[in-house]
This record gives sequence, structure tokens and C-alpha cells, in this order.
Amino acid sequence: MIPSNIANSPFSRRGFLGLAGGLGAALALSSCGTGTSASAGGGATGTSTVILPSTAPTSWNAVLSKVNSKLKADAGFELDAQFIIWSNYQQQSLLKFTAGESFDTALQAQWLNMAQLQQSGSLADLTNEIANYPNLKATLPAKLIESNSWDGHLWGIPQVNSAARLQHFSIRQDIAEKLGFAEITDYEQLERFFYAVKQKNDGTVAYGAASNSGYLHAVPVPTGMFNTASWDSPDTIARAFSGKGLFFILDKDAQKSGSSRPIPFWENDGVIDALRRIRKYQEDGIINADALNSDNATIKSQFSAGKFAAAWAMTDGISSNTLPALTKAVPGAALANVMPLKGGLSAKPNQTFQADNFVVVNSKGGNLERALKLQDWLSVKENHDLVTYGIEGTDWEPADGNKFKQISDYAFPGYALSWRGSLERKSANMSASEEKIFDWAQNFDNFTVDPFASFIPDATPVKQQIAAMANVITQFANPLFYGVVDVDSQLDKLKKAADGAGLSQLQAEMEKQANAHLKKA
Amino acid sequence: MSTSASGMSASATAKSSLDTVVADQTTAGAATAFPTSAGSPTSALTAGKLRRSPKQGSPGRGKRNIEPFTVVSYIGVGTFGLFALIPLWMIIAGSFTAESTLAKSGYSLFPEPFSLDAYASIFTGAAVFEGYAATLFITVIGTVLSLSATASLSWVIARRMPRISKPLAIFAYIPMLFTGGLVPLYLLVTQVLHLKNSWFSVILPHMMAPFLIFVAVSFFRQLPEEILDSAKVDGAGELRIFFQIVLPLSKPILAVIALFYAVSYWNEWFTAMLFISDPDKYPLQLMLQNLIANVTNAAELPGSSANVAPVYQLRLALTVVTIGPILLAYPFAQRYFVKGLTLGATKG
Amino acid sequence: MSKTTTASRDIGRKTTPAGKAAGTASRKRPSRRSGRDGGLLLLLAAPGIVWFLVFCYAPMAGLVVAFKSFDVSKGIFESPWNGLDNFKYFIASGDAPHIVMNTLVLNVLFLAATLGAGLALAIMLNELRARVFKKFMQSAIFFPYFVSPIVVSIILQVLLAGAGGHGGAANDVLGIFNLPEVSWYTEPGPWPWILTIVKVWQMGGYMSVIFLAAITAIPEEVYEAGMLDGASRARMAMSITLPLLKPTAAILLVLGVGRIFYGDFGTIFAIIGDNGTLFSTTDVIDTYVFRSLRTIGDFGTTAAIGLFQSVVGFILVTAAVLVQRRYSKESSIL
Repeated sequence: MIPSNIANSPFSRRGFLGLAGGLGAALALSSCGTGTSASAGGGATGTSTVILPSTAPTSWNAVLSKVNSKLKADAGFELDAQFIIWSNYQQQSLLKFTAGESFDTALQAQWLNMAQLQQSGSLADLTNEIANYPNLKATLPAKLIESNSWDGHLWGIPQVNSAARLQHFSIRQDIAEKLGFAEITDYEQLERFFYAVKQKNDGTVAYGAASNSGYLHAVPVPTGMFNTASWDSPDTIARAFSGKGLFFILDKDAQKSGSSRPIPFWENDGVIDALRRIRKYQEDGIINADALNSDNATIKSQFSAGKFAAAWAMTDGISSNTLPALTKAVPGAALANVMPLKGGLSAKPNQTFQADNFVVVNSKGGNLERALKLQDWLSVKENHDLVTYGIEGTDWEPADGNKFKQISDYAFPGYALSWRGSLERKSANMSASEEKIFDWAQNFDNFTVDPFASFIPDATPVKQQIAAMANVITQFANPLFYGVVDVDSQLDKLKKAADGAGLSQLQAEMEKQANAHLKKA
Repeated sequence: MSTSASGMSASATAKSSLDTVVADQTTAGAATAFPTSAGSPTSALTAGKLRRSPKQGSPGRGKRNIEPFTVVSYIGVGTFGLFALIPLWMIIAGSFTAESTLAKSGYSLFPEPFSLDAYASIFTGAAVFEGYAATLFITVIGTVLSLSATASLSWVIARRMPRISKPLAIFAYIPMLFTGGLVPLYLLVTQVLHLKNSWFSVILPHMMAPFLIFVAVSFFRQLPEEILDSAKVDGAGELRIFFQIVLPLSKPILAVIALFYAVSYWNEWFTAMLFISDPDKYPLQLMLQNLIANVTNAAELPGSSANVAPVYQLRLALTVVTIGPILLAYPFAQRYFVKGLTLGATKG
Repeated sequence: MSKTTTASRDIGRKTTPAGKAAGTASRKRPSRRSGRDGGLLLLLAAPGIVWFLVFCYAPMAGLVVAFKSFDVSKGIFESPWNGLDNFKYFIASGDAPHIVMNTLVLNVLFLAATLGAGLALAIMLNELRARVFKKFMQSAIFFPYFVSPIVVSIILQVLLAGAGGHGGAANDVLGIFNLPEVSWYTEPGPWPWILTIVKVWQMGGYMSVIFLAAITAIPEEVYEAGMLDGASRARMAMSITLPLLKPTAAILLVLGVGRIFYGDFGTIFAIIGDNGTLFSTTDVIDTYVFRSLRTIGDFGTTAAIGLFQSVVGFILVTAAVLVQRRYSKESSIL
């Protein structure tokens, strides 16, 4: 859910290029003032400034003053949050690091600039720090730390609300029932449901896809939405050098053989099969025809208005949240989450357990001790609830079974500061099927650790090929992921363009790094 | 060949004579035939305008029949107007239509079912009015500063002063091609000028637009040099010439430039986002951008009371809220550049 | 013929009282200016000069990163030079020729169409006499300039694809003529024209305002002369108004030429986004670079491409200015 926001952002091109031009000068200037690096020993006083994406929640001021009076008493400093809207977060947070501004923490992620910042020494190393903060330590399972350490070093506090992340479908249970599908448990039923919706021909489109996440339809991560082979055996996680670049599928037996043998996704039969299925769906009107040009917010709005019978969902426990809006537009609407894993929830799909988001500590203009004290403070249930859900009684009420009932419109980006798997409350109106999946996703033991779990490919040696390939993927692979072009002729174009963009170098580099990783592990 | 020719029939003869007029007017070489009227053919034309009082009627006009070209013009403008207005209507109608309809059909030509949800979320609380106030400050102060700096710099370029004007023109043109970028600007504004959270941080980086400088230069160059020279002969200094002669004669272009600057300040949100972190100081556009984000966030909330996030509707309503005031202000600027465009009009 | 010519001569004489006094000396004006004038003029220009130095020239120092292998921690001075390596990425990629071609084609279309539409609108507006209608229409055609690219893309999508991607107003119209439905968003062919129409819609009114201001500088006497001569309005528009707008059009053209290597990122990206099926005709340098680099954030390369665009723009403008000077010194911008 988080990466998708930025993917559609009207990112300012002017700013982007400008950033490029000016970065050097900025560093030249900021380097005058260096020497004030990571001040770990400065004591925790003053104000801890945190950089957050999105906007301040409606009643943020009230919450903040409550937070500060408590925080001041407990830890001796105050909190100040600077919100940057998602569409510009990537650019502006990087700008703040670059300009050497003083703030303690920020949201970063691999799909943002985390690797780059880490390489440049802008992030404080947290590897040996966590142990000093008992509350924080208690909320971070060892497995989580281990999977999110890069070469044994922890560069940010992983923000997760479940152990595993597995994409699946959120479907309109009311429509399903009307069409005679009491419970959908496998892919074959799901497909019949899609066609039944289509047959009803009342303007409802079976599946609503947004423009930012096409690869999720076909590439196994470990499941692809329409990749039935991956539902049958969810044991491969495709890897790319960068977020939406070229995905390589690594050998299933890599751990035994010690050889990763990466192949580009189009050499995998399951993927090809998925591409053909998607093409058929597109031609049959199962997938919205304007998917390539519909952003996430639009799809969400259309889903809430009852336009689609199914949509993408993640094991983050929030897909039921569209229900109130949906029932307002379509009285009697109901939602269910469908995980068409062969073998159901006992399938033990692969996971890397890598977090989508991290809270990183600014090593140049931040105070490490204060930053971690804040994280520690936020790991106490009471404090966590205050920041994440707002003021009890005004913004939310507790409900049975570690749930909460939302009362106001307080929406805090918890994933950027205060998400702790063990502290998260479930929404009181989470559907039964989603709850089942969400609970299942909390337990590391329900999953198989991917052989490449802590493998973070280093993009530096093949930067230019990655850049060229990113473009090839958008231009030639993306249309395939939505089924808007003929599969065979487009695959030819894709392969040709990929060769031109340096496929062989990328493949060789991926193999080299992945094999090296296997050796270490 | 005469004065009363009724349009079409005379056109054949008119062709040759008109060609000559224009040839005389536009070819610098032709100036030799009229040494007094000048170096610049256009200057003679402009001079003509100087004498013309706006009230001056055009005797004899209006007797004419309606000509095909006039009809074509009405049709042409009308068509383009519709071309512009149909989307405007879609925006306005859509902004009053319930999100459920918009999300299903994408648009609506009639607000059915009628809904004020989007406007309700925009106009809740004082934020939007604070936003208008901030934007008004930025637009008014910014436009005044921009207009003054642009007009004076452009005049110096247009004046063709040896060793000054030309280098200055190049000096003003280069930034249109080469820009240093965001980071140096960011450091400049936040660490050198210390303008963070000041509305001047939004105004100053955009104070001059090379494009508009050259638009102004081209207009200034058409001013009659004779008037300037005679003023010189009368002992007027350069400053007096600029303030007392050039500026009053240039109202149309000043109005256009002011309008363009005002529009760009009015729409500015990127710079504001960079430098203004205090939500109380957000200009309108930034405030509204955040509003959309907020509504979208609220939609992710579990079961909060009544949040059908009107994403479509909001985007459309925001367009109405932001362009409304400036469209209302438009006719005031328009006065200056449509004045005197009443060719052939029967007055009154 | 003589009559009209005389009329225009008269305009020249009668209407420039100063003309007589200044006489033929007017051309030599500069030589009579004293140093004090220069000083005063510089004083007038001072605020602008200072602004350019502070806000444009000082930040240009950042451009040097285009020649560096950029490393955030090392900064500009310690980052190693890498010569022209950053430029290679774009130039060496097989995409460069067609991306550059798209950029040029689209910009030429945009420039020609917006200038043409602005000019035509200004001339036609100039013909209108019903004041209310005219004022209303003027506001109407200016309004699209305010509509944000996001809203433009929504409207376009509704018109071309309908909600959910089936139908759309344009296809309904095709239906009336029994033509088959077009899947606009997967058909790259028509897009240069669609984008051009969008551009005209956005900028036509804006451009017409500039021309209208220039029209105010044309004296009515010229038209009266034409009228005495019995010229039709169409004739006067073509033979008086249009030629006299030439200098303004020429300046707008030269300014546009300088930007010809910059894609209109805001509009194109909002409308096309990541729809790869349309790239073959719509992908321009700016969108290409943005897409390639958004994930890896290599600022040296982005700066290099920006510099490449600037330099090519600079060369084109210089050429345009030189060509223009041969034809008309008056309308030269420099």
C-alpha cells in the first residue's frame, strides 16, 4: 500500500532534475559545517523532529500536546512532526538529508532512497543500539531484526504490523453470494466468479487494477495475482535491483546447489502463462480497460462506489476499511479476503520478512540517543496507542480482542513511526475472513524463510543498465502486465529492448551477488 | 477607387494597395521613403495610437454590412469558447455530483444526485480562508514586485543602450536555458536568506520570468522613439522618460504581464511546499493539496463515521475553488488590453 | 494605390509630433547619450540584475555535478570527476534517437499550434463587436490555463475512454458515424495530435492575450486607411494585423525554440503516465529521464541530461536569433 502511493505521484520533474544539479553545491556548502556528526552523547533534551509522509491528522494538535506533556515527563524532550505529502516525499526527504537539516528520524525504504543514504553514510548504524532500549527491543522479534539487517547491520527500525506480507484478493462477498459462490477457496472458483460477474453485465467490472503495480499480476513475490503456478507452489520470490525494475526469478534449489541461476521473468513458464491469462481477461473485459492510466486513489474510489467485484489486497489488515464507504454507496455490500493458495493457509509460502518501511536515524543532523528514546517510548502500548490511534474516547475506543473502534477522522501514518507488530490493534469492523488472514500473517512459523531473505542487491556496479532497464520494463513489460497488447509480439519487443539495455550484464551481476550471498549464508 | 466600396467587390483592387501599405509598414528598407516617420515602422504605428483618444469614434464605420470574416470570427471564437467551456462545465457539474456517480461513470453533465460533500470538506474550518489570505498576500505583493522589476529591466534592455542593453538581454536569457536546480535554491532560501516559513520564500524565487521580460521588451521596442527623443531634447532624464512616458504608454502589456505573474503566484504550491512547513501559513493551493491527501487518508480509516472519500469530486471542486477568484479578477486586467480593440464598432 | 500610401504617410507624420523634432537624428540617438544616462538606466535595471545574480547565477554552480561520479557523502569537491561518463548513458542508449525525435516533433507541433491558435484567436477576437459576448469568450478561452494537469488527464480519460475504459464520448461520436470504437489508450498513433489539441486548449487563450496586447499598439488609422480603400475585414486582418504581429510572434517563437529540447513534463506525465503502449510517440527526454532515474537517483546523470538539453537549446536559440536577424532586426530578442 505504501509504495503504491508514491508510484503515482506527480513527482516534480523540475525538482527532480534540479535536485541533481544542485546536490553538489549543497554538499559543498554543507560540508563547511560538518564535524557535527551523529551526536550520540548529547543527551536527550530539546525537540525530536521526525519527518513523516502524508499530512497531519485532523486533530493532530490536540494529540501532539498530549504526547508532549507525557513525553517531556517521561523522557525529557518533546516531539515535533514535519509532514510532507506523499507525492513529494521521496524528493523532499532526500533534500533534507542532502541539505544537512537537523531532524532525528525519517521514513525511508528500499523503494525510496535508503540504500543510497546508507552508502553515503547518512544513516546511523543501529545494530548495537537496540539492546539498550528495552521497550523497543521487546517489540522487535529477533527474526525481524535478522531479516532486515543488511550484511549484519541494522540501518533502520523496520515498521511492520505483521510478520509476513502476501498479496491476495479482496472481493465483494455480497456479489459472490448472489452468484452462488458461498466461499471462494481456490483459483478456479475465483476465475468462475470473475466470469459470472462479467456475465451479469450490470456495469460491474470483475477486477479493478491500478496503474502502479502491474508486475504484481504476474511475477511471483511469492504469488502473482493471476499466476496460478505461483498459487500452487509459492516458493519463489522474484528479485530486482530496484523497486519496479526487471525481476529475476532465482533458482528454487539455490540453497542446495549454491547457485542462484537467475532468469528474467519471461523465461518462467508460470509467468508466461499468467501473461496469457491476463491478456484473455483484458479481452474478455474482466480487468478494467483503463488500468494503465488509473491511479490508486481513483481505483480505490471506484471500488468504494461499487464499480469492481475484486481488487488487490495485502496482509496488512486494512482492506476491510473500505467497507463503510462501500455500504454507503451499495447498501448490503460485504467484503471477503480470498487467498487462493493451494493448500490454503497451511501452504507455508516463502517470505523474506523484509519490511517495506523503516524509521532511519539521521547521522548528520540528528541525535541518535533522542531518536531511539522516542522509538522506545513509542513501544509502550499506551504511548503507541496515543500516537497511532489518537486520544482514547475522542478518536477511538478500545474493543474486545485487542481491537479498536474508530470514532473521529484521525489518520496517523503509523507505518512511518510507530508500527509495532505486537502492539497493533485490529479494526473493530475487520471482516472475519480478513481477520483470519491477518492473524495468520502475524506468525513467522506459518511461512518458509526464503533462501534470499536478507539479500539486498547492490545496484552500484550496474547503475546505468538499471536505469535503461527501468525504462524498458515500463514501456514493454507493463502493457503485458495489464493484457492490453498481444503477448507474443510484445514479448519479442521486450526481449529485444532488454538485450539493448544490458540484460546480460544485469543477469551476470545478479548471479554473482546472489551466489555470494548464498555462500555467506 | 473608393471609399464606399462594399466589401467584396472592392477586394480585388484593395489587394494591391493594401499590400503596399503593409510593405511600407513592415519593411525597414521602406523607411527611406519617409525619413521622418522613422527608424521603426512600427513606431510610427504606435505613435498613431498615441494620438488616438479612446473615445474617438470611427466615422463611417458601422455603415458596412456584416462581412463574412466577422461571421467567421464569431463562429471561430464561439467554437473555441465551447471547446474551452465544455470541460469547464464538466468540472463544475462534477464538483456538485455525488462521488458514487462520478466513480461509476467518470463524469456527469448534470449534478445528479446533487452533493456538496466536496465543498463541505473544503470549507470546513478556517483553513481555507487562511489559505486564501496567504495566497492573496503572495499574489498581490509578488505581482507588484515582479511587475516593477520586470518592467524596469525590460525597458533597459529595450532601450538599446550600447554596452548595456545587449549584454543585459543575454544575462536575462541564459537562466531560461540553464538552471542550477533545487538544492542550491533550497540552501539559499533556508540557510542564507533565512526565509523559511515566510511568504517571501514563495515570492522571491519566482520574482522574474525571462519569458515575460522578453515579451515586455518586444512591446517596449514598438514605442515611438520620437516621443522619447523629444522628451530628451526637452531635458527629461532617463528615469523621467521611463516613469512618465513609457509606463503610461505601456498599460496593455503591463496588464498582461501582471496577469501572467499573478496567475503563476496564485497557482504556486511547489515552492510553498519546500519552504513553508507551518500549516497556518499554507497558501491555498498547498492547503488544498493536503486536503486531498487527508481525505484519502481518512478513507483508509476503519469505520470512521461518514467518510466516502470524494476523491474525484474533490479534485474537481478544488479546480473550481482555485480558479474562481482569479477568473473573477480577470475582467479587470482585460480592460487594459481589449481597450481599443473595437475596430469597426459602432459606439454606444 | 497612391491614396492608401499617402494615408499611411500621413499617419506617420501627423501622429508623431515628436517625429518632426527628432527628425532623422533619431537613428543616431545612442551616441548622444551621456554616461549619466547609462548610470540611471543601470540603476533602473539594478533590482533585476541583483535578483538574477542571487537566484539564478549563484545556484548554477551546482551544474558541475554533471561531470562527477556523484557520491552523497563525498560531496562535490571530493566526488571524483568522470568526464563525460554521465552523458554516455543517454546518448549510448538505443532509445536516444527516437526520444529526441519525439521531443522535437511534439514541441514543434505544440509551438506551431499554440502560436497559431493564439494568433487566430486574437485576430478573431479583434473582430468581435458584441462586448458582453467578447468579454465572456475571452475569459472562457483563458480559463483552461488554470486547470491542473491531473484534472486535464481525468477529463481526457472520460472523453476518450469512459470510466472503466469502455466507451467514452469520443467513441460515442465515432459510433454515430458507424465507425469502430478506438481503444485510444493503447493506440499510439493519434497521441501527438491529441496532446497538441490539449496544448492548444490549455495555451490558446494565454497566447491570444499576448497578441491582443500587441494589437492595441496598432493605430486605428491604418485600418481606416484600409477601409477607405475598400478592403474587406478579412483582407485587413491578413494584410495589416497579421504582419504587424510578426515581431511579437517571432519573439515567442525564438523563446519557444530555446525550450524545444524540454518536454512538457507536467502535462505529458499526467496524461500518459506509465502507459508504455503510448511511449513510441509520446515519450520525451524529460519523461524518459524521470522514469529511468526515479529508482536509482543518480544525480550526476540527471544533471548531465539537463545540461545536454540546455546546451542544445542554447545552440538552437543562437541559430534562430542569427537567422531571424537576417530577416528582421526589429524582432530580434537580443
